[in-house]
Amino acid sequence: MFIYEKKLQYPVKIKNTNPALAKIIISQYGGPHGEIGASLRYLSQRYSMPYPELKAILTDIGTEELAHLEMVGTIVYQLTRDLTPQQIQEAGFDTYFVDHTAGVYPVAASGTPFNANTFAVTGDTIADLHEDLSAEQKARLTYDNILRFADDPDVRDPIKFLRAREIVHFQRFGEGLRILTDKLDSKNFYAFNPSFDK
Amino acid sequence: MQFAMWELHLFLDTHPNNCDAARKLEEYRSRAEALRKEYEEKFGPLNETSRETSRWAWIRDPWPWEREAN
Ligand SMILES: [Fe+2]
Repeated sequence: MFIYEKKLQYPVKIKNTNPALAKIIISQYGGPHGEIGASLRYLSQRYSMPYPELKAILTDIGTEELAHLEMVGTIVYQLTRDLTPQQIQEAGFDTYFVDHTAGVYPVAASGTPFNANTFAVTGDTIADLHEDLSAEQKARLTYDNILRFADDPDVRDPIKFLRAREIVHFQRFGEGLRILTDKLDSKNFYAFNPSFDK
Repeated sequence: MQFAMWELHLFLDTHPNNCDAARKLEEYRSRAEALRKEYEEKFGPLNETSRETSRWAWIRDPWPWEREAN
């Protein structure tokens, strides 16, 4: 089960409204490399993980991604507070506003709603862990791209925190992969799927 | 403090036998417990937390979705 804690993992205190930036950052809420996809990927993959270390790391990182989802939602929310009709139009936020007003909806920056096609659950431990390593890099590069457009230090600070977490997760998944391969046929890691073939 | 605890928590997932990290976590936990009490007295409850045992107890089978746990 999950228990909610009434605080953010890392503080978000943005003073200035910036709907144009919100439109970009929302991609980490519901986009192809975003936090909801990350959480669903790990929390769904864990069922077919064969070793306790792997069940633990997928459960824990999948849970942390939910905390990141909340941080990204908070950033989007704070960037779209007290909007005037003029700000909405000038920032190009009108195409989002017409359907969602100032609500936070899981979409990519391009406007595509969140889709589970953005991630995989293969039931093959090697394939899943490699996907996880790749996913952490994709999230990291998206934060790097967001940082190219964000000059407000109030926004850059929590985004840099989220970027750093992707790197830690990549490290932990790398260790997970090593724990797995240590237990496989050292002459041929791909001889069987340790989750299904045993 | 809680963040440092979480970092150790993740580290111990992939290093369940690392006594140094487990000890450090134990040290932080006792400090965090006092801080949590102080915080909750001021701002109300954060959540319901059980007393942890060891890191191995955390990763050990069965997990909630497994037959053995139900
Ligand atoms: Fe991550």
